[in-house]
Amino acid sequence: MDRYCRRAGALALAVTAATATGALAQDYVIGVAVANSGGLAPFSQPAYDGFKFCVDEMNASGGIAGKHPIRLEVRDTRSEISEAVKFAQEFVDIGVNFIVAPPDGDPTMAMGQITSPAQIPTMTFAGTAPILTSVGEYVFGSYPADNQQAAVLGAYAAELGYKTAFLLKSPDAAYTQFGPAYFGTVFEANGGQVVGEASFTMNQPDFSAIVTTIQALNPPPDVIMTSAWEPDFPAFIKALRGAGVTIPVMGADVLDTPTVRGLGEVVEGVVHTSGGYPDPGSAHAEFNARFEAATGKVADTNYVVNGCDILGMIDAAVQAAGTTDAAAVGQALAALPETEGIMSSYTFAGTDRMPMRSVVLARIEGGEKVIIRREMADPATMPAP
Amino acid sequence: MDLILQQMVNAVSLGGIYALLALGLAVVFSIVRLINFAHGEVMTVAGYGIWIALASAWPVAAAVALGLAVAILAAVSMERVAFRAMRGADVTTLLITSFAVSEIIKVLFQNGISARPVPVVLPAWMSGTLDLGPVRIGVIALISILTVALSLVLLSVFLRRTVMGLAMRAAAEDFPVVRLMGLRANHVIALAFAVSGILAGVAAVLWVAQRGSVDPLMGAAPVLKAFIATVLGGLGSLTGAVIGGFVVGAVEVCLQGFLPQSLLPYREAISLALIIAVLVWRPDGLWPAEQTSRS
Amino acid sequence: MLAVRDLKVRYGAVEAVRGLDLSLARGQLLALLGANGAGKTSTLAAIAGLVPAAGRIEIAGETAGGLPPETLARRGVALVPEGRRLFAGLTVAENLTLGGAVHTPPAERRRRVAAMEERFPVLAERRHQKAGLLSGGEQQMLALARALMAGPRLLLLDEPSLGLAPQMVERVFDIVAGLKAEGLTILLVEQNVPMSLAIADQAVVLANGRAALSGPAAEVAASDHVRRAYLAA
Repeated sequence: MDRYCRRAGALALAVTAATATGALAQDYVIGVAVANSGGLAPFSQPAYDGFKFCVDEMNASGGIAGKHPIRLEVRDTRSEISEAVKFAQEFVDIGVNFIVAPPDGDPTMAMGQITSPAQIPTMTFAGTAPILTSVGEYVFGSYPADNQQAAVLGAYAAELGYKTAFLLKSPDAAYTQFGPAYFGTVFEANGGQVVGEASFTMNQPDFSAIVTTIQALNPPPDVIMTSAWEPDFPAFIKALRGAGVTIPVMGADVLDTPTVRGLGEVVEGVVHTSGGYPDPGSAHAEFNARFEAATGKVADTNYVVNGCDILGMIDAAVQAAGTTDAAAVGQALAALPETEGIMSSYTFAGTDRMPMRSVVLARIEGGEKVIIRREMADPATMPAP
Repeated sequence: MDLILQQMVNAVSLGGIYALLALGLAVVFSIVRLINFAHGEVMTVAGYGIWIALASAWPVAAAVALGLAVAILAAVSMERVAFRAMRGADVTTLLITSFAVSEIIKVLFQNGISARPVPVVLPAWMSGTLDLGPVRIGVIALISILTVALSLVLLSVFLRRTVMGLAMRAAAEDFPVVRLMGLRANHVIALAFAVSGILAGVAAVLWVAQRGSVDPLMGAAPVLKAFIATVLGGLGSLTGAVIGGFVVGAVEVCLQGFLPQSLLPYREAISLALIIAVLVWRPDGLWPAEQTSRS
Repeated sequence: MLAVRDLKVRYGAVEAVRGLDLSLARGQLLALLGANGAGKTSTLAAIAGLVPAAGRIEIAGETAGGLPPETLARRGVALVPEGRRLFAGLTVAENLTLGGAVHTPPAERRRRVAAMEERFPVLAERRHQKAGLLSGGEQQMLALARALMAGPRLLLLDEPSLGLAPQMVERVFDIVAGLKAEGLTILLVEQNVPMSLAIADQAVVLANGRAALSGPAAEVAASDHVRRAYLAA
């Protein structure tokens, strides 16, 4: 009944809007905070490309929920949190229906503190720190969270027979700090032991001192785990292998890029998690082909397909809510049961708005990403955020 | 003991790259009073040059040559396009101009090539290691140390044995008098930028070889360190820049290697505090530039 | 050799030279005299191209006004600046080499360095010392030698005797007189009026940026104004 009333109300509103503006349906306005430059640009650009591609496709077939043309309000944060905050306020003032935040936990949390009290659902492009949703009821993740990835990777490390691990963290981001910590928790729960840690600064010029610290460990650890991304991970692995250290290295989903795979011999055998894998014949592979044909760009990271899945999540939530009202869509999204996606299916119901999605374990072999297996993290073994 | 030796090798290897960059900053600053923050972008340009060459399957030597050539070209064109128009402006104006140049180049790379790093793969033999007594040294680290040493020797010969080298040292002291000797101001300044470019190019080659990827922000962090090194050594002093570079590299490696785990996140703050302490003790830096009285 | 018409030099609101005429024939020595702030150094700086100036400057019949200092140096103008302005961090030999920088063949440069060392033996002794460590007199020798390295046609000397010990002052004037005797054209700015007038052919007394008195050196020396103000007679 309630739902019916809301739908009727929305319809009435839509009719009023249509008569007032002469448009057939009300636009669905999405505020998008991208990072075209700065440290997040490597992730923001592909995520936005995938998102925009699917927005155009969806608009060609009527828009969100098949009837509301999507209008984007895109703002460039240049990877600055202060800019993200400014745009959050602007989006609230415009009264957008939905907000997509930059691909990292920190700017997403900063925006969420403003947009969540205004009851505008705000989803990160690719931030995976599970604490990011703690800032408000209307803040959402889109990619498998760090603790889901860690639950899968930590158990796999123990399964490979590794007994000791060394963690390389950076306090500069929730992702680089807590990712290895979650891994350590799960690894120890599975009988392993964390024997050492090092801390780096993002864009740190040199990793040789850390490598020497690792070399000095006696006995050497069985595995090194880090959530470092580019250009830190390439610099670290080059320094590590360049110093003759052959200890296996495990990393997080940020390693799922052609740059890392292109590093050659030094990354051979590196195991990392990922949000998905384009199996031949899968919807994911089909999307990648469609994207490349239409845009001329290669969908060489999962952030592209995840960008499209974000639009799918919004569409599913609008359909479930039966309205474009921001608060209603946010509530519907938080209650979304398992829904088919392109990269993988997603479930928001029963989570704290970080969707449960399958995690892919992959290994780099000969410059290619080879899938080991795909599995869903067991909520029971997932470290608390 | 082995650990200390090993970290010393790391410190020399890193400090050497900072020294090259700091020297490039100092050469330009000593003559035109410009702290060129776009110096890091010269390095980035060289990095992309190497990447393009290697991606086109050029031999390593040719890729290195291309990297150096584009670095010189980038540095000299920066001077021609941006800084010449600003010649004689005050230090602040020049500084802001250099920030603008730096930002423009970064954004051009981010939007023209990719915001993402691009991988640079060097031949496998360069990733090997050598055991020298108790120290295991990476081939690249060894090449890096030798290259830095060779570059410093060559630069020193150039500055002492050639007229243009003498002119550059003289210009650092008293530019108008150098012009009275019949040396063209534009030539001397262009040469200073070319020298800074080649030093940044060499640094870029070593940097890329050690890090394996090139990205639009590649030069930003090292040039900041190099700037700290030039201030520490004595702004405008070439010897000071080299000393400063090695000191900054050593401090960085020592703090990373020997600080207790709980203090590691404060590493940068500690290293900057140490440098400030040195500057309080010696406000003109460790090895200040020669001062000449001017009327 | 040098003809200056209605020269004006201004630094912001201050007019240092306000319409000065000079003419200097080949092989002559013109002494430019006057109190501090009369505009002597500004005149030399303008002729050497170091400061912008209004008016006409001709050197060897060619317009020289507005040219940069390096071009004038290549046309044979050499200035020994006030305070000598040696490259203190460079050695004596390096300072000399730079003085001859306009001569591109290195052999010619080396030949001239040797000639200068012969002329000023003290420079040969101090060859590898930093210029900043020389005594005042030695520095003046080096500054002169550095200017002569270019083989100038017109030598501009700004206060060469300033701050030197009396014997050294005499030595400097001897050298300047010797250069004139070799046929070099010299414009000499000096505060030592008696010694300057003794070796000059012509003299101009500057006051407030204008020529207060000019003519053959002997006439200027005999004028009441100069006798009262400078010669203490």
